[in-house]
Amino acid sequence: MKVTILHLYPDVMNLYGEYANVAVLCRHLEALGVEADVQTAGEDADFSTADFIYMGAGTERKQKYVLAAAPRQAEGLRSAVERGAAVLFTGNAMETLGASVSSAAGKVWPGYALADFTTVETEKRSPADVVAVSTLWEAPAVGFMNKCSVTRGAATPLFSELSLGFGNEEEHGAEGYVSGNVFATHITGPILVKNPDFTDLLIRRLFARKNWTVPERLPVLPHEREAYAVTLRELRGRIGREG
Amino acid sequence: MRMFLAIVVCKLLRFVGRLVGKGSSLPGQYALKICPDILQKVKLPSYIIAVTGSNGKTSTVEMIAAILRKSGKTVVYNEEGSNQIEGVATLILCNSSLGGKMRGDVLLLESDERYARLSFRWFHPTHFVITNLYRDQLTRNGHPEWVYDAIAPAIHPDTTLVLNADDPLVSCFARGHEKVKWFGVDRCSISTEEHHGVYHDGARCPACGGAMEYEFYHYEHIGRYRCPACGHHRQDADFSVTSLDLEAGKLTIGGETEISLAFRSIYNVYNILAAWSAGSLAGVDRETMASVINNYILKNGRMVQFTLGRRHGTLLTSKHENSVAYDTNLSYIRAAKTPCTALIIVDSISRKYFTGETSWLWDIDFGLLNCGEVKQVILCGRYVNDLALRFDYTGIPAEKIVCYDTVAQAAAALRESGNEELYVVTCFSDRDKLLNLVQREQ
Ligand SMILES: [Zn+2]
Repeated sequence: MKVTILHLYPDVMNLYGEYANVAVLCRHLEALGVEADVQTAGEDADFSTADFIYMGAGTERKQKYVLAAAPRQAEGLRSAVERGAAVLFTGNAMETLGASVSSAAGKVWPGYALADFTTVETEKRSPADVVAVSTLWEAPAVGFMNKCSVTRGAATPLFSELSLGFGNEEEHGAEGYVSGNVFATHITGPILVKNPDFTDLLIRRLFARKNWTVPERLPVLPHEREAYAVTLRELRGRIGREG
Repeated sequence: MRMFLAIVVCKLLRFVGRLVGKGSSLPGQYALKICPDILQKVKLPSYIIAVTGSNGKTSTVEMIAAILRKSGKTVVYNEEGSNQIEGVATLILCNSSLGGKMRGDVLLLESDERYARLSFRWFHPTHFVITNLYRDQLTRNGHPEWVYDAIAPAIHPDTTLVLNADDPLVSCFARGHEKVKWFGVDRCSISTEEHHGVYHDGARCPACGGAMEYEFYHYEHIGRYRCPACGHHRQDADFSVTSLDLEAGKLTIGGETEISLAFRSIYNVYNILAAWSAGSLAGVDRETMASVINNYILKNGRMVQFTLGRRHGTLLTSKHENSVAYDTNLSYIRAAKTPCTALIIVDSISRKYFTGETSWLWDIDFGLLNCGEVKQVILCGRYVNDLALRFDYTGIPAEKIVCYDTVAQAAAALRESGNEELYVVTCFSDRDKLLNLVQREQ
């Protein structure tokens, strides 16, 4: 059993330790006896064999390098999605999945156009701890974001509301984007390390795509659940203090 | 008249504030209210040296002050580290005559990008030393390019930039700027052809986005680079470390001045070189500078020696959310010649603001502790699980790693057993939690 992971632009879209998302997914797959074949690529990416495609956050400038190549890569990414590949774009990589990204000064870059939403950058940064209500799993998601943009028109958000953090359009509002196996959120960093339930969901989707039987109980790796519980406790304590 | 009033009020409030032990920003705040453009009106000394960068600002400023004072100059600087505009206004006005002339030969400022934007509207440094730009407290500061974009518009054309030639992003400040002096470290014992570290912020050219080529790296993205696409490259340095033997703790500046290092780290070498460059540009002679810098022990004591049970310990203060600071100290431990234990504490991520953000743990090269002399790694604090999880991906054998929920539990266990050297890596926000439980050495 083998899963092919395509990690896009790991050299530039890796501002908050995002490589850990791929590493932790591999660990979970290996614990299930699945071989994870990780390929890395940038402008020259070949999407034809990928089961899972990941991109993390980068600086605003580095995201533009990605966007410069996005129109000619869009077809490859779209057909991978049509074949059932799972996609996860986090941080400002999320923005590239939409129709366009505009700078605060008004310059427009077309995106991968896998979704209709559009993003406009702002001159202010909004760093924030995040506690989010997922539309797909029960436990709240935790994490951090550091965005300087507003995304409009994401009709199917991944998170219905946030008790901490900035949503697509406003503070505490709906956040991210999900459609079938395509997942996107502005939460940065190792979101899969911090949210084992999200990792489990991706594993189930990958097994389903491969027509493998999903085990009833997925492996629980050391420290992950404990770390999640502490972060959630700390963040909730903060909500309590401020609310 | 407003200026006179502002200076009087500032001095008075400072005097009263000192009596009641209040901070230094309030007097400046009032002075700026009375006379908003006061910093433009005051006559400042002929040398105004500002220092900024992600790491090493405080150390560099301290050494510059020591050099200038040894050469007989009167230096006024924000020793208390209050680098907000209000604090700087207090500093300047309290050192000014009522007629609005500042005393002293040199105004020396440790500055951050927010400060640069606000203060350099009113006056500008004659020399602006920029040491490096790395990932530093991303939760608060934004990423290095963001910081770059905040500093760049604040730079006055008349300011002489003193730039680290080995940092490709810092070097971009020279674009379109006439007055530039460069400092850098030549190829030496620590230079490597491959990049080391968890992430590579020098992979792409900061000027054009093309793939960057490196002749060698000193550490992280610092080294000798060239972009084949746009030609952005490492400039020839005006001030150079021409040879460096880190193991022996010796370096040579400009091919002739030998300096011994009290702290054997490449970061210390860059701080020394930056201070040397600033000193030279202020007209201090080589002999005076060498006498100060040789074996210089920093006052802002980042290193603390102590005893715990039968162990001798060394605490290496890092900064949470700053992987370069951590990597510095991990490299130091890796170079240890005798068997040792490493203790890593992450309890409060910041003492200034709340965050539960732990992504930065993945940027730190904890794999540096995967070496023969490090016999045991102890992890503790509120975020011990995040630490343990991170260490699961370092290749360090699990049986070498021990976890405790609290600093007190870890300290008790270390006191009970073992006599190996202990190295502690943690932040200002957490270090006293351990130091309160040990016997400090002087
Ligand atoms: Zn270039």
